Amino acid sequence: MDEKFDCIIVGAGIAGLAAAMTLARNNMKFLLIEKGEFAGSKNVSGGVLWGSDLAKLVPEYWKEEDGGWERFINHRRLTFMDDQSTFSIDFKSSHFNETPYSGVVVLRSKFDRWLAGKVQDAIDESDYAMESFIATNIKVDEILMEDDKAVGIRTGEEEFHADSVIISEGVNNLLTRQVGLQDDYVPADHMLTGIKEVIRYDQKVLEDRFQLNGLSGMSNEFVGFATDGVEGGGFLYTNRDTISLGLVAGIKDMREKEKSPHDLLNTFKAHPVIQDTIQGGEVVEYSAHVVSSGDKRAMPKEVYKDGVLLCGESANLLMNAGKAIQGMDYAMRSGILGAETIIKAKERDDFTSNTLSEYKQALEDSYVMKDINSFQDAVHMLHNPTMYQDVPNLICDFGRKFFTIDSKPTKKSREMMKESIKEHSSYWDLMKIGFKGAKSL
Amino acid sequence: MKSLDLTERLGLVSYRNQAKSDIKPHIEVDTDICNSTCPHKCTTYVCPANCYTMDEDGQVHFQVEDCIECGTCMYACDQGAVDWNYPDPEIGRGVTWNFG
Repeated sequence: MDEKFDCIIVGAGIAGLAAAMTLARNNMKFLLIEKGEFAGSKNVSGGVLWGSDLAKLVPEYWKEEDGGWERFINHRRLTFMDDQSTFSIDFKSSHFNETPYSGVVVLRSKFDRWLAGKVQDAIDESDYAMESFIATNIKVDEILMEDDKAVGIRTGEEEFHADSVIISEGVNNLLTRQVGLQDDYVPADHMLTGIKEVIRYDQKVLEDRFQLNGLSGMSNEFVGFATDGVEGGGFLYTNRDTISLGLVAGIKDMREKEKSPHDLLNTFKAHPVIQDTIQGGEVVEYSAHVVSSGDKRAMPKEVYKDGVLLCGESANLLMNAGKAIQGMDYAMRSGILGAETIIKAKERDDFTSNTLSEYKQALEDSYVMKDINSFQDAVHMLHNPTMYQDVPNLICDFGRKFFTIDSKPTKKSREMMKESIKEHSSYWDLMKIGFKGAKSL
Repeated sequence: MKSLDLTERLGLVSYRNQAKSDIKPHIEVDTDICNSTCPHKCTTYVCPANCYTMDEDGQVHFQVEDCIECGTCMYACDQGAVDWNYPDPEIGRGVTWNFG
């Protein structure tokens, strides 16, 4: 293949696939390269794909009998844990049954593969049906640079050339580092390890246990004992006939507290309430992957340079501000915006930073960077031990007092709360958190 | 539900080129650093696949076969001992997730 592409996309995860779909629909000639056997084969997420962008890429995807997604979310739960108890905020609404859904649970090996099929359909319908490709089993060793401008990629001895390169390689962003947009060594401070088991049930058992109806699903996040004193949290998402149960745990914190992620996961699973929730299942896969935290201090220096754009987790576009862990939706939107910028660059025949900087602007103007920017304080707060340790303990202690009926005179709730605060935290710490919380959320 | 130990968990993972005995390791670890100046040897407990082990004499050893390409060691090691890369599709190991 001597011919030059308009764009080479490295990595067929959600960002890469969203970019590819957008390029195909706009009759661009591109090459999407994936190192795995198939799109999704190396990808792991929690995972809920939040937001409604999927409906833009695959219109009316919910009408498909066996689409790539597992269940839509109409039931949210946030759970505080101590070693014995859980105290949950639970919200379920038929409002969320309406399409386009605002969140679908996915298993990436299936979802990405399905989405890649849709991209292939779009390629087949484009002007470059025979000249655009999704190529799997190829590892990109290097982004080719000429005068500090990306001009293609090298894999082994082979080179492919293009006017532009979209790097959507994921959080372990070696190529992002090679082109100088990220430091060679990224410290553990703002990185977490996600660890997960997929647990299978008889589908009827799963549906009854979690009160699922048709393809409805539940997402449940956990803070507190879930990570046994390590910063992070837990999650449980319902798939068709499995659940995704896991944790994210700060790498630096694990290093300092000498904790193993797989031990943490077993401690989480052994919690009495979790035990009751997951009993009878069979583990069918164990997986792990690094995720970024949404802390801007860890992000690459820039999301573009001459001939290159960064999309998705390669730019550390991920955030957990307490309401949901968002990353895949950011990947999707950034992939779309990246591709739209490449299309403009092609029209102007200018693939330098002059045009590509418009990607950064588009990202800043979108909900992705708007949310990441406005919830930085919330991100910092969630990584504060008061928040992931003291507050869950305090809430559960209060819950135990409040719901205990033991044939003794009952104290007023205010008194109970006072005692719980004294035992697990201090008014001063809570006030600090309260002020920050009020400001950050 | 019974908890699984790590061997049972890794038994559920599908690896590539599993039939090949002679694979090219995608991660290179300078264990001389681990075993001389590293104050924490943290890879021996933060790696979710236990690719880093410590023997009775406190010496760190690395084997790539069970690696699930998560990336944890690349960030956890702040001593410059881990040279991390993705596996080669033809001659490397690495994972193919069934669920992901």
